[in-house]
Amino acid sequence: MELEFRLPSLGADMESATLTEWLKKPGERVRHGEPLVTVETTKGLIDIESYEDAEVLEQLVQPGSKVAVGTALARLEVQGASQAPPAAPAPEATPPPAPMGPLAPASRPPASAVESPGTPPPRARISPAARRRAQELGVSLEELERFAAGGFVHIEDVEKLAAQRPVAHTDARGAMRATIGAAMARAKREIPHYYLAHAVDFAPAREWLARHNATLPVQDRLIEAVLITKAVALAAARIEGFNGYFLHGRFESSAAVHVGAAIAVRGGGLVAPALLDADRKDLPTLMRDFSALVTRVRAGHLRSGEFTAATITVTSLGAEGVDVLFPIINPPQVAIVGAGAVREQPWVRDGELIARPVLTLALAADHRVTDGRAGARLLRAIADLLAQPQAL
Amino acid sequence: MDPDTLESRLLSLLTSVAPDIEPQNLDPARALREQVDFDSMDTLHFAAAVSKTFGIDIAETEYARLASLRAAEAFVRERLAAKG
Repeated sequence: MELEFRLPSLGADMESATLTEWLKKPGERVRHGEPLVTVETTKGLIDIESYEDAEVLEQLVQPGSKVAVGTALARLEVQGASQAPPAAPAPEATPPPAPMGPLAPASRPPASAVESPGTPPPRARISPAARRRAQELGVSLEELERFAAGGFVHIEDVEKLAAQRPVAHTDARGAMRATIGAAMARAKREIPHYYLAHAVDFAPAREWLARHNATLPVQDRLIEAVLITKAVALAAARIEGFNGYFLHGRFESSAAVHVGAAIAVRGGGLVAPALLDADRKDLPTLMRDFSALVTRVRAGHLRSGEFTAATITVTSLGAEGVDVLFPIINPPQVAIVGAGAVREQPWVRDGELIARPVLTLALAADHRVTDGRAGARLLRAIADLLAQPQAL
Repeated sequence: MDPDTLESRLLSLLTSVAPDIEPQNLDPARALREQVDFDSMDTLHFAAAVSKTFGIDIAETEYARLASLRAAEAFVRERLAAKG
């Protein structure tokens, strides 16, 4: 069966993308879940995975072209029955997000999520800093590749090249800011948020983590964010109304828990790609996935499945943060948990005043789906899970 | 810069774990957290790379000693000397 491979929507606010590279040539085979094409969006480079086992018949769009969501990128020949709807929705005024769309996230090959930290994608001959600078200076990737002639392109090369010619200035950071602005404006316009906060004694988690890490080489150690992510995932799986999407006027609960991890992009901006099946992975596996995700964000190279999959999000400002972070829901999700910085604070236990490391969790949830009572249950469940870190 | 100096080796480890920083703008004396928004995952990646490259153990409580390039240099020098 022949079908068209279309540009999926990789977020509520994405309208178009620029095709940067084909990863498969006509005549080549692509497996389900394997990256087929790389596109550049305001969130950086994203590998779009095939949702079929197929053979590439024809590439319909060439590198350098900017195309709208829903545009046919290639013709594929598929063996057997189609595993998913063949096309992303055609672009409308506001393209609906396709969170469970052409890429069934749970069926992605697990191997693809594991990369050792610091290993850039193998075919990247242009450093991410150079790529970003190129975008800022309006230097096209084709020009860079011609200039590099197969070698590695550094930021100095981009500047040299840009200095040789007058260019139109485009602003990559401005584009990412606009993307965040559009998504958050939609969240604030459409979602009746309610907010709850709860302080958690983080000492058990911290002590367990210190003991666990003490025996391990650096690369196998866990970080606090992974414990928090796992606790949120387990609580969201148990308590109905927080894990899923609000689409077409109603809440669709998701059986799988894919936790979006808000990761700051250096130089400004934020992306929240998903840690898939976070409730079902053990801590070392979740840590490896998280580590690989951050590595890909730093290298400016994410995968399409990671963008569309998250069913709930966790955000944190880390050690440099403040006590409480009141987050904004990332539509079409219905809940987000903000983790404040863990700080030594006065704490009362058994009538005694003691100093404890305290983590304040803040939940923003969608009042169209749940009420504060359910939200309180969710936060308490997270707190209970963090009090028993050995069970995470 | 001499590619064999400890500082330049550390700088290249840093850019391998954080390819999105622009090393020519880095002040070796300033904390990475302040300068390039290093988070706990970046810190872990950098510590893992330093530990592996130089064959030294780094306890979790010692991550703070990698706060800046200059601090990391002093720390690695000290550990290598102790190793003999």
